[in-house]
Amino acid sequence: MKVLELKEVNKIYDGSEVHVHAVSDVTLDFHEAEFAAIVGPSGSGKTTLLNLIGGLDMPTSGEIIIDGTNLSKLKSSQLIDFRMRNIGFVFQAYNLIPVLTAKENVEFIMSLQKWSRKERDERTFELLKAVGLFERMNSRPSKMSGGQQQRVAVARALASRPKFVLADEPTANLDSKSATTLLEIMEKLNHEEKITFIFSTHDARVVKMAHRVITLEDGKVVSDDKRE
Amino acid sequence: MIWKTAWKNVWRNRVRSLVIIASVTIGIFAGVFSIAFMNGMIAQRIDAAINEEISHIQITGKEYSLNNDPGIIITHHDSVISGIPKLPGIAGTVERTIISGMAGTATKNAGVQIIGINPEMEKNIFTLDKTIMAGTGDYFEKESKFDLALIGQDLAKELNIIRYTIDSTVLENLKIKKIPVNTLEKLNPIAGIRFTNEKKFKKSINSLLSKQESKKYGYQIKNVAWSFREGSKMTLTFLDKDNNQVGVVFRLAGIYDIKNTIYEQSMVFVKDTDLKRLTGMDKDSFHQMIVRINDINQTEEITKALKDKLPEYEIVSWKELQPDLAMMTDYVHQMYAFFMAIILAALAFGIINTMLMVVLERTKELGMLTAIGMNKKKVFSMIMLESVFLSVTGGVTGMIVGWLTVLLTARNGINFAQYAEGMEAFGYSAHVFPEISASFFIMITLMIILTGVVSSIYPAIKALKLDPAEAIRTD
Ligand SMILES: Nc1ncnc2c1ncn2[C@@H]1O[C@H](COP(=O)(O)OP(=O)(O)O)[C@@H](O)[C@H]1O
Ligand SMILES: [Mg+2]
Repeated sequence: MKVLELKEVNKIYDGSEVHVHAVSDVTLDFHEAEFAAIVGPSGSGKTTLLNLIGGLDMPTSGEIIIDGTNLSKLKSSQLIDFRMRNIGFVFQAYNLIPVLTAKENVEFIMSLQKWSRKERDERTFELLKAVGLFERMNSRPSKMSGGQQQRVAVARALASRPKFVLADEPTANLDSKSATTLLEIMEKLNHEEKITFIFSTHDARVVKMAHRVITLEDGKVVSDDKRE
Repeated sequence: MIWKTAWKNVWRNRVRSLVIIASVTIGIFAGVFSIAFMNGMIAQRIDAAINEEISHIQITGKEYSLNNDPGIIITHHDSVISGIPKLPGIAGTVERTIISGMAGTATKNAGVQIIGINPEMEKNIFTLDKTIMAGTGDYFEKESKFDLALIGQDLAKELNIIRYTIDSTVLENLKIKKIPVNTLEKLNPIAGIRFTNEKKFKKSINSLLSKQESKKYGYQIKNVAWSFREGSKMTLTFLDKDNNQVGVVFRLAGIYDIKNTIYEQSMVFVKDTDLKRLTGMDKDSFHQMIVRINDINQTEEITKALKDKLPEYEIVSWKELQPDLAMMTDYVHQMYAFFMAIILAALAFGIINTMLMVVLERTKELGMLTAIGMNKKKVFSMIMLESVFLSVTGGVTGMIVGWLTVLLTARNGINFAQYAEGMEAFGYSAHVFPEISASFFIMITLMIILTGVVSSIYPAIKALKLDPAEAIRTD
């Protein structure tokens, strides 16, 4: 089942001083339960592409269709709501609310969606167990390592069962052991929850673990390599 | 979750939040306490005016007030007048006869109003009988073969009826009042001297004591050192009904002490029967009927009802007699709200500044929250709540501290004895009992919440303008 479709997407940053064609004629499909990496050198357009897919930025031309909904047809308030219901995000840093515990961070979106306490607790405990942090659920982010924080972020991203999860260089600030652990957890959840993961990276070991590798160069897709 | 997050966010920068909360606390405390103080002062003034001086409504003949013409009288033959005490809402009435005259002793003279009263009836309307200075008399209680008069403390001073002496009893009493012995020792040069003039007495005290001492203790010393000669006499001079001048010697039935200098200087009370006999006035007629009502809030209605019933008479309420007090009672809440609004407006700038820093510091976090789907309304509420928590935490603490201070000071009052003369000249007591109502706290609570909300608007708008893609970019 197709969850995401990009048709001839372009993004041009056109300022008074800069003119950058950050994403150029990208056409891609993603299906249910994919585990895809977007790779490419710094400045190749990975972040821009993920921001476009996540509705954080609007393409200059082209269409992005998520589960039948064309993102450019949504008003900005609808778009925020759409993101909340359909897309999970893991960023490179500043993922968590520092004043809330791990458990509260994971619950956050579910509570915005007005889930009942019982449903929320069940899902939160399930996910915290899956990322191996059930024992740490009452810790604040500042009391956790970078890798643990990213695992909480992954649990948070999956909490309300989105169509897919976008992760922009989730391992960039992690040592290689934590990075591998994080990827293993992501892969496991991808498998168990049947949720599509799209993540960017320039870490070769992380790339190795992906089932599909899309390579960008100067904003263009230069290869789209499905393994298995 | 948003409430919880906002509350926890308040404590992220503990010092900064505490500073702003403390300033709100101090501001609200200062506001609450000064208002309680003003409120108590006004309430006491109104109380005194109603209970000691004018009561609620006064009825006189038409045009009586123009020149206090004693020929303009009221009589019981008017059945409407005699029916007033039975009207709804009326607590009681008394009648007074009023003659202008002079009060004099061997050395001094003063123009006064001589009021003929029925002492027993007056007790139902006024509390003047409770203000008699100890040892000066018994408020017409004892039968006497002399004509008796009740005068105010300030008139007694003016007529040199009160005199001042520093003797051993006085010094003993002053010691009990915790005035330092070495201050009292300085008074030795005037020990035993009898001053008949208050000003001279004050002058010699001031010359013996340091400026600070006389400021601190002068009033107390004066209050203890006064004495009064039993059986003091004075002459009241006035015109009888045929315009013949009459001068009659009166013994004192007491000296009353209220907190209103002008009233004390000018109002002399005598028995109505004595005054009628001396002036030859008809015993069924009088000049003024004073009406006390059950509920002060009904002043306007009852006054109007009386005016409608008695078009041939002049009817004035305390609000017309004391427009300054009437204005205070009518606008007191607006006044307090305005006062609090000024304090809160100043505090709002501090809160706005803090919240702007908050938004600036949390750019990335706020961007992340918008990215993961927290909508504008919720981001706005979160910032607004944080701001409201700042103002309410400070506000509630300030109100509690203010309220406790009011409770504490209201027990014994705050006595500005050294400013008593100045304040009593305006009819205000220098011994103030702060007082505050629950409705006032409800009003300021709402104002404090409003301040939090209003202060958050500009910072929250700034937060909403953040572009999430920009905010979370880590370059
Ligand atoms: N807001 C922006 N304004 C102008 N140029 C931008 C902006 N964001 C990104 N770019 C440019 O677009 C290109 C792609 O950037 P980015 O998507 O961040 O690449 P990557 O994530 O692969 O490093 C870069 O040349 C970058 O300088
Ligand atoms: Mg990037």
